[in-house]
Amino acid sequence: MAILLMGHPNVGKSAVFNRLTGANITESNYPGTTVDFTEGYTYIDGKEYKVIDVPGTFSTDPKDEAEKVALDILAEHDDPIVVVVIDSTKIERGLYLAFEIMERGYRTLIALNMWDDAEKHDLRIDVVRLEEILRVPVVPTVAISGKGISTLVEKVPAANRVDIEDLREKVTNL
Amino acid sequence: MNLDPEERWRLIDKVARETVEYGTERSTIRSVLAELTVKPLTGIPFALAVLYGFWGFFDAFAGFFTDGFFVPLFDDHWLPWIQEAFPLKGSWLYYILVGDPEAINSFEALGMLTSGFFVAIGVVLPAIVAFYLVITILEDSGYMPRLAVLVDTVLHKIGLHGFAIVPMILSLGCNVPGVASTRTLETKKQRFMMMILLSVFIPCGAQLGVMLSLIPEYFGYIMLYLVTGFFVFGWLLNKLIPGRSPEIITDVPPLRTPTLTNVGRKLWVKVKGFFTNAIPFVLLGVGLVNLLYLGGVISWIANSLEPLFTGWFGIPKETVAPLIAGFLRKDLAVAQLSAIDMSGFQLITSVVIISIYFPCIATFSMIIKEGRKSGGVIKVLSGSLLTLATVVFLWGGLLHLIGILLGVT
Repeated sequence: MAILLMGHPNVGKSAVFNRLTGANITESNYPGTTVDFTEGYTYIDGKEYKVIDVPGTFSTDPKDEAEKVALDILAEHDDPIVVVVIDSTKIERGLYLAFEIMERGYRTLIALNMWDDAEKHDLRIDVVRLEEILRVPVVPTVAISGKGISTLVEKVPAANRVDIEDLREKVTNL
Repeated sequence: MNLDPEERWRLIDKVARETVEYGTERSTIRSVLAELTVKPLTGIPFALAVLYGFWGFFDAFAGFFTDGFFVPLFDDHWLPWIQEAFPLKGSWLYYILVGDPEAINSFEALGMLTSGFFVAIGVVLPAIVAFYLVITILEDSGYMPRLAVLVDTVLHKIGLHGFAIVPMILSLGCNVPGVASTRTLETKKQRFMMMILLSVFIPCGAQLGVMLSLIPEYFGYIMLYLVTGFFVFGWLLNKLIPGRSPEIITDVPPLRTPTLTNVGRKLWVKVKGFFTNAIPFVLLGVGLVNLLYLGGVISWIANSLEPLFTGWFGIPKETVAPLIAGFLRKDLAVAQLSAIDMSGFQLITSVVIISIYFPCIATFSMIIKEGRKSGGVIKVLSGSLLTLATVVFLWGGLLHLIGILLGVT
């Protein structure tokens, strides 16, 4: 079973990856640190998962070589679980990618990373409500310090496929 | 099913309104500093200060360990000891492993166990540590994209954009990750240009370390000539190569305090990589050149290339040996120049030629690997070899001409 970490450049996918797998790949504070994918393994409830740190991508419509790598990885795997890593301070555009992935019918899970930055900016996100609306697990994380990672791991098996038709109706009626 | 983008945004907008609440943001010292570093008026002096500080630290750190510790260790203890203790003086084995039995400094002994170890551990290791320590801090603090914003205008003049500064800076550590990171550039044209310019004009951290230790007085001239070459040929390539150079829109992340664990971890990865990937190549390079010497190959090549070397570039034909070592390691190549008798200007020219004549083998394989994704190996390879030959011939010859005009050859 494969877990793909996807998200915009510089949202902390590599940091989440290191936390999940105990690996040592390069984390930096600039977009484009990861240009190739890295694989690692993690065990959740005694089950082995392959974890892949996918290069950052803004959407499922590639604009450079690193984004092409990202989409090839997505296409290559048979029914992976996609963890969409989102910069909490830029939640809307993170959700855009999350929507694209959910629309393609992948089992999805959202990590609201850089949660501490959101707190610093006095940005309050109602995680419970977000979960209710999207029907996928949403977990606040601070990957560089490890906060929220254990919850993220617990929720991996609960990653969900979303009925977009339903979601559209529900959101429209909000 | 798929939504169209407009609908997607409409839904996200509603979701966000339902779940996100924006409070009041206070400006902090950090956010003010973050602003100041991207505004040209304050950002450019800040960038110059950062680069100067970077340089000062690199110089001081590498100098402290190399001159203060490793030079005495190798020259006063290791070298005389192994020259005496190693058996079979006068044999070919002694020549390959220890080198010159009369040498009094470790640069000039030219044996695997003398110069090889000294260059790798004594000179390059401190340089690598110093370089990556600063780079890691710059990376993790979020300063790199700020620099990218500042240099954007300048790099547009040669058909690149600000973000090309990232491969450039990474290449100053090692050209291999520099070439790999050209993948974040958008078009084949940009990637091709960047790969060539990097591998030709940007000396790696190991080479910088040796240059700094061996010829600090010429360092500035060499770098100036190489950087000028970067822009001159960048401008030319931009005119000659068909293709687009689009504008980039990028995020500038907030400034963050680098964490000690992440800095330490990255540094460790680099140092470990140096021990496993670089040191064997340095030793191999020394051994190979010594073998070729013994076999008479070097003097044969040197004699056949003499017209080109002395006539066109104005450097002694003996520099052929370092150039061969340079296929494996540029740092080693520069170190081996020290054993050749020549004028200061010839030394500058030789170092420039070593930098530009061909990428080291590791960088070259990376170009081939990346070329596959950027328009086909054959195209990239023939394009780069052609550019390379032109650059070496013109830029190397021009330096000789400058020397003649200044009357300093």
